[in-house]
Amino acid sequence: MLDKIMKTQLFAWIDKRTDAEAIIKSQLTEYPAPKNLNYMWNFGSLALLVLVLQILTGIFLVMYYKPSAEATFGGFTVAFDSVERIMRDVNFGWLIRYMHAVGASMFFVVVYMHIGRGMYYGSFKAPRELLWIIGVVILLIMQGAAFFGYLLPWGQMSFWGATVITNLFGAIPVLGEYIGQVLVGGFAVGDPTLNRFFSLHYLFPLLLAAIVGGHIHALHVVHSNNPEGIDLHKPEETIPFHPYYTLKDAFGVAFFLLFYCYIVFFNPQMGGYFIEVDNYVPANNLQTPAHIAPVWYLTPWYTILRSFESKLLGVAAMGGSLAILFVLPFLCKSAVRSARYRPMYKIMVIMFFVDVIVLGYCGHSAPTATLKVVGQIATAYYFLFFFALPFLPKIEKTKPVPEGI
Amino acid sequence: MKMTKFVMAAVAAMVMGFSSQAMASGGGAHLEHANVDVTDQEQIRRGLTVFTDVCMGCHSAKYITFRGLMDYPEIGLTREEVDELRGEKSLMSGMISDLSIEDAVVSYGKAPPDLSLIVPGRRGGADYVYSLLTGYEHDPDGKVPDGNWNKVFPGNRIAMPDPISWLDHEADEAAELKQQAEDVAAFLTFIGDPHQNTRRIIGCWVMGFLLLLTFVLWRLKVEVWKDVKH
Repeated sequence: MLDKIMKTQLFAWIDKRTDAEAIIKSQLTEYPAPKNLNYMWNFGSLALLVLVLQILTGIFLVMYYKPSAEATFGGFTVAFDSVERIMRDVNFGWLIRYMHAVGASMFFVVVYMHIGRGMYYGSFKAPRELLWIIGVVILLIMQGAAFFGYLLPWGQMSFWGATVITNLFGAIPVLGEYIGQVLVGGFAVGDPTLNRFFSLHYLFPLLLAAIVGGHIHALHVVHSNNPEGIDLHKPEETIPFHPYYTLKDAFGVAFFLLFYCYIVFFNPQMGGYFIEVDNYVPANNLQTPAHIAPVWYLTPWYTILRSFESKLLGVAAMGGSLAILFVLPFLCKSAVRSARYRPMYKIMVIMFFVDVIVLGYCGHSAPTATLKVVGQIATAYYFLFFFALPFLPKIEKTKPVPEGI
Repeated sequence: MKMTKFVMAAVAAMVMGFSSQAMASGGGAHLEHANVDVTDQEQIRRGLTVFTDVCMGCHSAKYITFRGLMDYPEIGLTREEVDELRGEKSLMSGMISDLSIEDAVVSYGKAPPDLSLIVPGRRGGADYVYSLLTGYEHDPDGKVPDGNWNKVFPGNRIAMPDPISWLDHEADEAAELKQQAEDVAAFLTFIGDPHQNTRRIIGCWVMGFLLLLTFVLWRLKVEVWKDVKH
């Protein structure tokens, strides 16, 4: 079909002015992709799909949402009322809102899988360091966007989650208190906070869209890694991206949509994980919920924060745990990329994945003495993993890497 | 492909964890299961009657309008029935209690929460509402006055005085009172998300379509890839 379109006069007219044919060839029909990519390589295209879904559903939600913490009858607010209007009175508003709320969690599911795949197969190593670093920037902006968005319904967890997180800035010496006040727009979370978070929640996804463009550009310069983690030299080792990977990604998209739509239509709160129970209660600054925890995708970092007695140390460790991702390509010095040929790294990285899940569990649960110790051990392993990487090549005996695929 | 398998297993484990520990108890005693059917018009209407006769003495449900009682097919009252219920209130008004919040605070010491979102807003949902209504007992320590001690309410001391007169009921009344509690739990579950039945019906069509689409794209992918040796 693409061939037919490219033979039309209209296409010729456009091509003369944009070089469209060369772009299509270099980026799609003649873009060389390794032929042995497994299904773990589908999560990149899924992340792009969810980003587009989030932006589209978000645009429609904004048509009805009102960012105001002004009180209305019965202890509610204008913002909370407008969300309920979307759920009840706007035609298919419930669908758009559930797609957006479930989409936020699913975005993190696919992105965490995507990051895990990159770590397992060594996709962050030379020459793809910058590709990885741009990816970490995307992760941070995503977490920011999700955090800002969670305030908007102005439920109990919105309010108290934002209160806890913005209070963290107070731990930073000298400037911390000032930064916190600028972010909140006052001395406590309130109407000004809601308005600036709404503004930032609209800005961040647009930044994401631009940076994702940079991520894909960087990928198309250095090309995809592959499960063997080796450089490909022979033409028969690669296949054109279109139609092979466009179709494989399309299949992946349909498969993903099965899960996504099942949750949207049959279990949108996901048992209180995707939309928390307390967020159906309107924000009340006089009544603290029994247990404040961020949404599941932020809980691993929340555990790292809580693992230190000193607030400053906790904040530093939480920041450090994300910042350390930037230098991963320079910490991991082994010449072999894929964990398939690195027996020690393989065990370490799988333990790291389990470790992050444990951190997430600890952060989501109500704090107990046992969980605190478990969280501290998990925090220690999180950092130990990164600090051990530079020394690993000295003791690790890698398996022989194949010549080709 | 080992990595793929490992990840699939991890995801499966997490999803199962999600659903199994979905709703931890909100406090106090174990929650009893409520038989609630949000597609059963009879039950929802019976629940509406309990709501207007008992709950609305103090509580409101501001997100449900009198108009909604006609428009949602799950309730489907006639105009005449709605007119009788609403009295002087506007058709577009929410179901607002005649007791003002200020007066309620004076009488009971606490503002009665709006009940529009009480089911999604409480751990245990309908089971919690049902268990709370049938959870009034005499304080074992004898400190809390009768009608303010509830075995499922967090902290056990509740401002709402035994609405369906559960405490000291006759043995032969138990079934009827339980039925009332269950019916009102069904009504409240329905109004917590009034498009839930539509959502599930559309969802079935969506899943059917996606299953077909996934199958077609899978066969297409296999067909296109059959010459690639990898």
